[in-house]
Amino acid sequence: MQPSMDTSVSPRGRLRIGTSGYSYPEWGDAGFYPPGTPAQAMLPLYARRFSITELNYTWYQMPKAAAMERMLPKVPAGFGFAAKLTRSMTHEIDPHGWRAQVTQFRQGIAPLVQADRLSALLVQLPAAFERTDARRHYLAELLDALAGLPVAVEFRHRSWAVDRVFSELERRRVTLVSVDAPDLPYLFPTLDVVTNPDLFYIRFHGRNARGWRSGNMQKQFDYLYTPAELQAWSGERIPQMAARAHSGLIFFNNHVRAQAPRNAQMLIEQLEGKTP
Amino acid sequence: MDRAIIHLNIADFAAAVERRLDRRLDRRPLVIAAPTAARAVVYDMSDEAYQAGVRKGMPLSRATRLCRDLAVRPPQPARYEQAMADLLGQARTYSPLIEPGEQDGHLFVDVTGTSRLFGPPVDVAWRLRRRTLQALGLDPIWTLAANKLVAKVASRLVKPQGEYIVAPGDEEAFLSPLPVWLVPGVEGPDLSRLRELNLTRVHQVTALDPAHLEVALGSRAACVAAALRGRDEAPVLPLGQKPPRVEVNQTLATDTHDPAVLEARLYPMVETAGRQLRRQGRVARRIAVTADYSDGRRAVRQMRVEPPTANDLALFDLARRVLHLAVVRRTRVRHLRLVCDRLIFPPAQLPLFEEERRHVLRREHLVAAMDRIRDRFGMEAVRMGRLAG
Repeated sequence: MQPSMDTSVSPRGRLRIGTSGYSYPEWGDAGFYPPGTPAQAMLPLYARRFSITELNYTWYQMPKAAAMERMLPKVPAGFGFAAKLTRSMTHEIDPHGWRAQVTQFRQGIAPLVQADRLSALLVQLPAAFERTDARRHYLAELLDALAGLPVAVEFRHRSWAVDRVFSELERRRVTLVSVDAPDLPYLFPTLDVVTNPDLFYIRFHGRNARGWRSGNMQKQFDYLYTPAELQAWSGERIPQMAARAHSGLIFFNNHVRAQAPRNAQMLIEQLEGKTP
Repeated sequence: MDRAIIHLNIADFAAAVERRLDRRLDRRPLVIAAPTAARAVVYDMSDEAYQAGVRKGMPLSRATRLCRDLAVRPPQPARYEQAMADLLGQARTYSPLIEPGEQDGHLFVDVTGTSRLFGPPVDVAWRLRRRTLQALGLDPIWTLAANKLVAKVASRLVKPQGEYIVAPGDEEAFLSPLPVWLVPGVEGPDLSRLRELNLTRVHQVTALDPAHLEVALGSRAACVAAALRGRDEAPVLPLGQKPPRVEVNQTLATDTHDPAVLEARLYPMVETAGRQLRRQGRVARRIAVTADYSDGRRAVRQMRVEPPTANDLALFDLARRVLHLAVVRRTRVRHLRLVCDRLIFPPAQLPLFEEERRHVLRREHLVAAMDRIRDRFGMEAVRMGRLAG
């Protein structure tokens, strides 16, 4: 039996587990929320089960300080947020305007920073973001511009899986996001490298290889991890990573039919030693 | 259940469509106007031209003075219609509930309840924008809200480019700091009244007691209060399921404000509309005339048709009255549109009184005879005396 770990049930725990996004109407049909739960009532209900969430909508839209302020009273003290950097700095980069976008983003998430609720800032780079000189320079400049924030970088293209990248992230104390995703040749591989002694960060995307390139999120993230698949993480990888960093964040992105919260709960129970 | 309404809006639609066809126009101030017309006015313009002070309806000569490197392209309605059809094609993948505007580059898409098929509404909205950009080369504003009103305000807010998501339940907080004029449903007279009372922001009006607002706006108070709180139950109409109507358009060869000429143009339009109605076996209960002036302004007037009819002569009597209600300015008219709607099956009962019945029957017989002749020998085989010469 593995030793139990301090997980999401304690808000200030070293290891927090949640889901990527919480506002999915279909989670009502799947039983996670009571049927017909209005969108504005979802966050308080979510916060009863998990102590952290990843804000996905900040990828679609530049965060707005007023909306962030309105969100804070809906969650208990100690509830944390990881915010995803807006697509205009990762997927649809405007070479002339991105610096202004960084400034705008910082202003938008200021209420989270001031309230000490921002656990991480996720910089997710697309599969097309291959490692080239121009992109290395861009990323270096972006990380400089985001200095002071708890940045975690997720690569999708496997060309970034090289020691030079890891050591540079280590030098900057920037977290490399570990991913669990389908085993496709071009994707960034599953690694348990820890580059930041303050924070490690894991994202579970599901292993639906057929759905991955469908262009439809409902197919891409339609996957339910089996207890055995999660056991490989809870039994070995996560304890090893936790030994190399002060805190960790784990998110499930397989949101279809509320599989993400089911798997998150499953992992919490495994780590707490409740299930084998 | 919260509704999820996407609003797509290609700002400065005509200018955007022209730019897609000629990339040299990118980043250049551009107006759409007929440069050959003697007193051409601006029909649409790019944001660069707008920033330089050019406005819709402004004489082209003034626009060129304001903006020296102005590019001018003539209006091409067929191109805009095609672009609009392409845009609809993109949206159709995601929902049957699509409500487009009239060739103006905007449409509402209701994606409520589709997330199990296509994913979260915000992702659908973003994909729709991306596909529009990739496939059509047009970059729409996209917004997402729980109703059409709030989605529309959000679009106005980010114009000419960008996106805005208003989370369900956030409608009041979203509208609260905005100027009142941004909210559709609060129109001219309401705005002037509110301005007189120095109420310019939404929160200033929503803070008022309903009774106080009623003193200011009378019977409009409840509608205005609901709009300013972001309440709007109006459904997104399914594509192709708009209430049936018959529409006839006529662009005048030469702009004019001569009532006799306008009436002469109107009569064949009524004939066309009447014929369509009769073929469908329907009669109209309402008739409307839209007049587009050469300076870009538009006037619309309508009238109830009582008793409902599809008879050219009866319709023309009303159409002429509506035309004179619509055309009151001393500016020339460029385009006329006649709309017959609220269509019903013809009422069975004839007028009760003998003389009136005879009059109605005579008109019916005359038009029926003309229809028979035209069916056999073509439209030009018989004409009304008023159109002779």
